[in-house]
Amino acid sequence: MNDKFFEQVEEISERDDRALIMLKRRALFAPFVVLAFFFPIAARFWYLQINKGDQYRQKADSNRVRITSLPPPRGHILDHYGREIVTNRPSFNVVMIREDSFEIDDVLKRLAVVLKEDIEVLWERIRDASGTPRHVPIVLKEDIPWDTLAYLENNKYKFSGIRIEVRPVRTYHYGNLAANAIGYIGSINRQQLEQDQEGFYEGGDLIGKRGLELLREKDLRGEKGERSAEVDARGFEQQQLKNMEPLPGNDVHLTIDAELQKAAEEYMAIGEKAGAVVVMEVDTGRLLAAASTPTIHLEDFIGGISKKNWDALLNNSRHPLINKVVQAAYPPGSTYKIVTALGGLVEGVIDENTMIYCPGQYRFGNRTYRCWKRGGHGAVEIRRALAESCDVYFYQVGQRLGVDKLAEYARKLGLGSETGVDMEYEKAGLIPTKDWKRQRHNEQWHDGETLSVAIGQGFNLTTPLQVCLMTAAVANGGRIYRPRLVESVTTPDGRVVDRFSPELMSELSEREKHFLPIIRDGLFEVVQGKRGTARQVRIEGMTVAGKTGTAQVVRLAVYKGMKEEDIPYEYRDHAWFTCYAPADKPEIAVTVLVEHGLHGGSGAGPVARVMLKKYFEHRLQQMEDSVADASGRNG
Amino acid sequence: MFRFDRRLLIHFDWGLLIMLLLICGMALFNLYSASYPPQPWGTPPYLKQLYFFLMGFAAIVFLLGFDYQELHFWNYFFYGVVVLLLLTILFIGKSAGGAQRWISLGFFNLQPSELAKLMLVITLASYYSRKDVTDGYTIRQLVVPIVLTAVPFLLILLQPDLGTALMLGFIFASMTIFVKLRLSVYLILGGSAVGCAFLAWEHLLLPYQKQRVQTFLNPEADPMGHGYQIMQSKIAVGSGGQFGRGYLEGTQGHLHFLPERHTDFAFAVWSEEWGFAGSMFFLGVYFLMLVWGLYSSMFARDRFGVLLSFGIVMLIFWQAVINLLMILGLLPVVGIPLPLVSYGGSSLLTTMLGIGILLNVRMRRFQSPRGQID
Repeated sequence: MNDKFFEQVEEISERDDRALIMLKRRALFAPFVVLAFFFPIAARFWYLQINKGDQYRQKADSNRVRITSLPPPRGHILDHYGREIVTNRPSFNVVMIREDSFEIDDVLKRLAVVLKEDIEVLWERIRDASGTPRHVPIVLKEDIPWDTLAYLENNKYKFSGIRIEVRPVRTYHYGNLAANAIGYIGSINRQQLEQDQEGFYEGGDLIGKRGLELLREKDLRGEKGERSAEVDARGFEQQQLKNMEPLPGNDVHLTIDAELQKAAEEYMAIGEKAGAVVVMEVDTGRLLAAASTPTIHLEDFIGGISKKNWDALLNNSRHPLINKVVQAAYPPGSTYKIVTALGGLVEGVIDENTMIYCPGQYRFGNRTYRCWKRGGHGAVEIRRALAESCDVYFYQVGQRLGVDKLAEYARKLGLGSETGVDMEYEKAGLIPTKDWKRQRHNEQWHDGETLSVAIGQGFNLTTPLQVCLMTAAVANGGRIYRPRLVESVTTPDGRVVDRFSPELMSELSEREKHFLPIIRDGLFEVVQGKRGTARQVRIEGMTVAGKTGTAQVVRLAVYKGMKEEDIPYEYRDHAWFTCYAPADKPEIAVTVLVEHGLHGGSGAGPVARVMLKKYFEHRLQQMEDSVADASGRNG
Repeated sequence: MFRFDRRLLIHFDWGLLIMLLLICGMALFNLYSASYPPQPWGTPPYLKQLYFFLMGFAAIVFLLGFDYQELHFWNYFFYGVVVLLLLTILFIGKSAGGAQRWISLGFFNLQPSELAKLMLVITLASYYSRKDVTDGYTIRQLVVPIVLTAVPFLLILLQPDLGTALMLGFIFASMTIFVKLRLSVYLILGGSAVGCAFLAWEHLLLPYQKQRVQTFLNPEADPMGHGYQIMQSKIAVGSGGQFGRGYLEGTQGHLHFLPERHTDFAFAVWSEEWGFAGSMFFLGVYFLMLVWGLYSSMFARDRFGVLLSFGIVMLIFWQAVINLLMILGLLPVVGIPLPLVSYGGSSLLTTMLGIGILLNVRMRRFQSPRGQID
């Protein structure tokens, strides 16, 4: 640089003295401009950090902490004696975390082969979850077998983004025992999620769908745990913060005796009998067995039932999805004669000695009503009428009572209304009255119809549970207890949170009770009498009282006179048998309905006999032993 | 020939140097946290920044040996080189995020637009100091500085780098207003600025740039997109509270919720970890440095020195203000770093060179233009 340049600059500088002073003056104000910005900025820091600091800290925490809920193991379901019917086992599920998978398509192609699953099915599950964040695992296949698990674990590197998750699932120690009563669980659906007021559930949770699993959902579900983990902005976990272990659900102890229930189901399975078996303690309402056959296969519901299996259940003509104990109503047949008998005695239209002559038919109006015994029973009184199930006798008692009186006693004995048992979709059945017919069919009641009703046919519809309730009431002296399935609910550490106590729903009046011994005598004769309709139910060593019944399915002339075995299955009559034992000191009532089982005595009676023998097994054995001992001593 | 003058040492602005070192120290400390946990590959950002800081420091020492007056001579040469670099970048620049801003020099990527800011300060200071317009500039007299600003402005806008282009506008406006204008010129320039802003919004701004402004006005409308940065930054700053979460304890930054946490949003990390107390301490030193710089300009021995000091302070000041307002959610995200604090070699070097010039002006306040002591 030359001196000339500096001279020029100096010249400029000297010339500009005035301008320099002006600039310096202006520079004097510049710091104020700078500070004018500093203070609002400082104020903003104050606002964000001091005023709103707590709020932002909360936001920061919720930003970084991901809370995932841990599903609690569901409570167990045990029988009356503490035998485990339903517990849990680990299910190994294959899940995909899309965020971690580099080549989803490739991985799924390989996985489809390993899981023996159609690749489209796997893609469908991924697509279903397309709205969820990419770090959320999507279940591709539940409950994989050990060898598949081992293969996937050993070949992890081939399946990016694939993980195995363990979740507790139901395991059924007695197979399908009491399946319709216990029910099953499944993934929560949209509707159930919307109804969840407490906000307990989230998508994918398992929830009770049917039976006690549904009704006792709150007891069984337990408390969810929480897993808090610190995540980065992409959702990758950085570190685990804390774990709150889930609390297992409470255990539900049933009133049901698993062995008795098993016996009922096994015996019904012989010859594929469809129907229901109810065993109830007469003095409490405890249900010791409540079988409905054919039954559902609970294992099919684990991880969601396949469409094929579901369709098969829906289309099965024997309706395995229906719990026939409460959800199916049948004409009660001759078991209804208990109602007619009680009504007749209480209302005084008959007394215990009233003789009615049965010639095998009864002419009423311009119609002839037949007795099941073509040749007739001759002169019969109430006990014999019950024992031999004389239709003519009860036609006449019914006629004298009228349909409305019959209905009154039917209701008093527990028929025609829901029992309130802990089973869902219970049917009320139907006990017809004149009013009912007018309202329902807009027709007058014909007196002839009363005759059908009096012997349990016509419009009458009852559930097997109602018939059992009636039988128990007769046995226990006129008390109607609410039937119950749950004995108690206990916490996992054994503390009782709910305990069964007998609930008396209604009771017959003293006058009504007064006539019960006459009916009980009649029912005793049904089994124990020489000409009883259920002689084959007799058990050596104990007395049984009961009533047979046949519920007409259709009245088709074409099948008249045909051999019963030749009538197509679906047109055969339903068979009823209801009883209690021991007859002198009743403990349990047993009701059996066999759909299209033809006759009560032969169709349903043997099942009841099995139940009684099973229940009294020990006592009968002891008796046998003592008899053997005695004969041994005598011999 | 370089002649060492003992007076230079006596008049050396130790206060400014100490503030510079303090700020750079805190910034490096903060960068360590902002890039924590360290990535297993490559040189970590704080270390790279340290290298640039050392380079900058060496450049300052080197620069102090020369009289700032010589910038009058080199001024147009610099101008030409920077414009050439800006032109080059349009053709061979390294592209990142849809913009071409860097020239790869192997060991580091040079961002000529950063140099352009300093170059414009020197150019305008040189131009205005040569004109004797004590009655205020007329529009005609402003044509040259407007053209001198417009060339790099447009070239930077083409990259596109709206933030840096706007900085040139701020530098031009600050320095031009500082040298005094006639009242009519204020009105004409003010009116044109509003008109240009309107035209730019309608015709010049790219959709993403418009989006940023719109997002700024309503960040919650797009929480996972453009509004995300603003919201996360506010959360980071706010969650710092009174005394902060503690060093290396800030979750917003470490868990990657805060984007660009070591570049434009580095100060949000500081605020999160040191809270209101720490932020105020840092900003106190920072603004003191700026005021101190203006103080230097008041004592400069000539108009060039005054203008140069003022321009450099404004260069740092506007960037700092815009960056802070952006971090605090009071301005749209425009991509302006906080000088000395944000990670970035070009920005750090430019700022340090600027502070080198400030030191230069101050230490030569008693020296005659030829290096003679008055």
